[in-house]
Amino acid sequence: MSAKGPTRFRVIHRTRYAYALPVELCHNEAHLRPRTTPLQRCLASRLTIDPSPAVVHDRADYFGNPVSYFVAQLPERELTVVATSEVEVAALDLEDGQVPASPPWEEVRDLLGPGARNVPLEAREMTLGSPMVPTSAALAEFARPSFTPGRPLLDAVADLSRRIHRDFTYDQEFSTIATPIAEVLERRRGVCQDFAHIAIGCVRSLGLPARYVSGYIETVRAPGQPRLVGADASHAWFATWAPTTGWFDFDPTNDQIPPRQHITTAWGRDYSDVTPLKGVLFGGGEHTLEVAVDVARLEPAA
Amino acid sequence: MLGAGEEGAAAGRTRGLFSAYEPLPGCRDEMAAEPGALHAHWEYLAGAIGALGDAELERRNHELRRLLRENGVTYNFYEENDTVERPWSLDPIPVLLTSADWSDIEQGLAQRAELLDLVLRDLYGPRKLLKRGLLPPELVFGHPGFLRPCVGTARADGRWLTVCAADLARGPDGRLWVIGDRIQAPSGAGYALEARTALSRTLPSLYRDSHVHRLALFFRTLRGTLAGLAPGGREDPRIVLLTPGPGSETFFEHAYLASYLGYPLVQGSDLTVRDERVWLKTLDGLTPVDVILRRVDDPWCDPLELRPDSLLGVAALLQAVRRGHVAVANPLGASILENPGLMPFLPGISRALLDEELKQPSAQTWWCGDEKSRGYVLDKLDELVVKPVFPHRVDSTIFAAALASSERTDLKARIRAHPERYVAQERIALSTTPVLRAGRLEPRPFVLRGFAVASESGYYVMPGGLGRVSSSSSSFVTSNQLGGVGKDVWVLASEPERQVTLLPPVERPVVVRRGGDEVPGRVADDLFWLGRYSERAESITRLLREILLRLLATERSNLDGTVPLLLRALTLQTSAYPGFTGEDAEARLASPEAELLQLILDPRRVGGLRFNIDALARAGRAVRDRLSSDTSRVIGAIDGELARPCDLAAARESLQRLIQLLAAFVGLTTESMSRGQGWRFLQLGRSLERGLQTIALLRGVVLPAGPLVVPACEALLGILHSVKTYRRRYRSRIQMGAVLDLVLLDESNPRSLAFQLVGVEQHVIALVHDEDSGQRSRAERLALEALTTLRLFDVASVADADDEDAAHELERLLKRVAATLTALADEIATRYFQPADRPQQMVRFS
Repeated sequence: MSAKGPTRFRVIHRTRYAYALPVELCHNEAHLRPRTTPLQRCLASRLTIDPSPAVVHDRADYFGNPVSYFVAQLPERELTVVATSEVEVAALDLEDGQVPASPPWEEVRDLLGPGARNVPLEAREMTLGSPMVPTSAALAEFARPSFTPGRPLLDAVADLSRRIHRDFTYDQEFSTIATPIAEVLERRRGVCQDFAHIAIGCVRSLGLPARYVSGYIETVRAPGQPRLVGADASHAWFATWAPTTGWFDFDPTNDQIPPRQHITTAWGRDYSDVTPLKGVLFGGGEHTLEVAVDVARLEPAA
Repeated sequence: MLGAGEEGAAAGRTRGLFSAYEPLPGCRDEMAAEPGALHAHWEYLAGAIGALGDAELERRNHELRRLLRENGVTYNFYEENDTVERPWSLDPIPVLLTSADWSDIEQGLAQRAELLDLVLRDLYGPRKLLKRGLLPPELVFGHPGFLRPCVGTARADGRWLTVCAADLARGPDGRLWVIGDRIQAPSGAGYALEARTALSRTLPSLYRDSHVHRLALFFRTLRGTLAGLAPGGREDPRIVLLTPGPGSETFFEHAYLASYLGYPLVQGSDLTVRDERVWLKTLDGLTPVDVILRRVDDPWCDPLELRPDSLLGVAALLQAVRRGHVAVANPLGASILENPGLMPFLPGISRALLDEELKQPSAQTWWCGDEKSRGYVLDKLDELVVKPVFPHRVDSTIFAAALASSERTDLKARIRAHPERYVAQERIALSTTPVLRAGRLEPRPFVLRGFAVASESGYYVMPGGLGRVSSSSSSFVTSNQLGGVGKDVWVLASEPERQVTLLPPVERPVVVRRGGDEVPGRVADDLFWLGRYSERAESITRLLREILLRLLATERSNLDGTVPLLLRALTLQTSAYPGFTGEDAEARLASPEAELLQLILDPRRVGGLRFNIDALARAGRAVRDRLSSDTSRVIGAIDGELARPCDLAAARESLQRLIQLLAAFVGLTTESMSRGQGWRFLQLGRSLERGLQTIALLRGVVLPAGPLVVPACEALLGILHSVKTYRRRYRSRIQMGAVLDLVLLDESNPRSLAFQLVGVEQHVIALVHDEDSGQRSRAERLALEALTTLRLFDVASVADADDEDAAHELERLLKRVAATLTALADEIATRYFQPADRPQQMVRFS
């Protein structure tokens, strides 16, 4: 598959916590710096933490995502974390709604099944249930109409993604990060990471690989185009694996094939592997959270 | 012990109950080849125990049970979301193994440990086993024990796995088979040590003459290896034992090993991570920790990177491990090896990694994720034991043959739906070994938990281990838990015991130092309350004894009319309302037996005696590593009193013993605890509580006395153990003024209120204080206020108790001192015990 000319984006992801009481100690882990992928280069990325942390340590996690550990002491009862990144993203040369050729889904399933050889371990790993996405008969049943016998894998997954977009209502009030996907499936409501989890659960419940992708989507569209859902916050979608293409992304929330205006931060089995910012704190009492994300398109590279 | 030499003397003369022993037909037995025909290595034991005679054996067995009970050897069970503590029981007949038999086991376990260490390194490193197809990825990637954040944390050199345990069963062919691996925080080694200690005391000459391999070297090796794990090869490293707390199943063992190995016993909340290092939070500040021997299961160890809802772990522990600033044994992530699905693949892995055949075979195991194996398992289900690959607390082992046909169909459906989640194992008909039951020997199925510990030269295997026998004689079922009946396992030396000194002495010489008394706030809290509960129990016991003395002595019953007075005082003292006060009090005062028995025996009666004994025992267990073993034994004996239903007469006997035991507790803590901060908190708790109890007693007995003043005062002096002092001093009739002076103000009377307040002030002054503050702390001011208020009190003004004003005056004083002491207790808790120091999760977003 060939790629169009790359687009440059600048992402500013600002998180602010306000606490009722001073925080004696706060350990944090952040997945906020974008990774490099076959279609994306991270040109620069910087984490600004206020108040200035006692310890910051960067490393790559199990999935190869950049992750930062930092420790904050917050007598001021406030913590602000700003991640500023510049990335260059290539677009896929695909007509709307088109996907590359791929083998029938049953063939991919058998290829990755017991005794598989010469396939990436990660593809096999991603066929299994994970902490937030257990596989189930109900998910398999929901998936089934898209997976007709002999249908090419990517066609089937694209259809599944389209159906999730069509059948599920985007509802920020309905779910929290603790809402089980069984409930999301039953009520057909949720937000982007719920839809990603549903899709992943469906694909895995058929013995196929799927992974969770965490990132951003461009905030502003050209005039006359609808504003995209999931902007102003971090976004989530999923990818499946075919022997012909490797990992291939789908965005069920917007019924798109990324990357169009998508910037990838990290991937893992589900949200719990790549939570943008998490922490354990001592003290602090009640606290509130504000998040703002700004994605801006920069002048094309010369 | 009396007649310790007798056991051997008559050996061989009679084998008593051993001749009557009948192994189960068709089962292999550890002792008897067939009825009456013992294996040669059991002959000596049979002769020696047989010669003791039935009565003496029963006496020794009783002695053994007493030792275990007094040592507080317990095992906790979960029942309906509650933890129930049970005594752990040990059978007096050890299991005997010959040196030849043992040498195979030893080599097998050492090799298995070596192999598992390599597997663990590979899974958290290059994962070649998966890439080469030696292990199906589903078994690893799908297992909750595979902790992705731990990848890349393996030690660069030496062995990563410090301790390894395996459950072994002997099959009908005489070979021992591994039926399960216990890796992440293996329990049982401490029980094995306690079993050996107790049994060798119960049967001293038999033990001495049997030439049994000792266990001590195992623990010395463990200490040496743990010290060697310290980052940067630090000399004299700080090592702690991390426990989930007194509610965990094997808490006894955690405290026991902590004392035996000389490590502080800590809970997650006692530790903190700063600058990517682990520190112990003590009253004096933070002390660095180099090595953690952990008994907390993998997922609970770090709420930042592992289970976010864990309160048992240490936030950012994994980051400290990753940076190489602390070593955790066994390493975080080791639970991936507690996976029965690995078993079918170990022989192949052994050939590939060690170029050796697996010496200690696993029971034949089929992983259902493999199509051929699955076909076999579904076909032969009735002959197999089905186990889930992923850990399950309930229903972990399924005997298909025991299922109803519908259940069997369900199980097959579950296996078909998720074959990769199940293994099936051949059923090994376990060998049996004799246990003593009601004066007879009965065969019981037997499982051995063996232990291996890393050393510089390889894995060292504990000679013996912990034996377990099931409670029924069915030869397939043994409990997965450590509960049930334990067995000491004796490996008999064919030659005299090897010289311990020939083996590698790994430990460095001890660095002499004073102190070493770093007390975490949680420990100070428990010690403070241990002191308070012991005083509460004592005050209630003394008052109850005084009541029963009058109640049960029929001829002078109620003559002086003080019984109702004392009963009401008891309600006041225990705060167990309504009790002998309130609307229906008359009926209960007239026949107080039922209410009294409930207050004495019912653990659910808040404020009652048994309730306080439970609280005392709980606090004692939580800090047992800080107490001498004699003190723990006394606490065990206190806990053993009033544990069963009884009548008032029997209760009185118990109360008498309790008073002595509580005095022994006080004596031992005074004599055998070093005068560090921990001791201060214990003593402060005692003084403060005794002060409060004395106040409650005065308010209950003296204030309402009215015309009963003389008998009431007599009773008061009796309860406060001051009768003789009073007689010596006054030689005359009871006078209120003199009595009040003795029990309130006399600072030389150890039962007076003033004596307690002087003690409170001294202990508060001696507590750790914030630096560079020239002023009295709030706690010091409160202690001084209580003492001064009392000292300034004019006893003469209340000498006449019939005077209502005087009574009010006294009441005001007692209330004020009580309120000041209560404020002081709150201040101590706020300043030292860090009750609010619990981690919380930050709100997350998408």
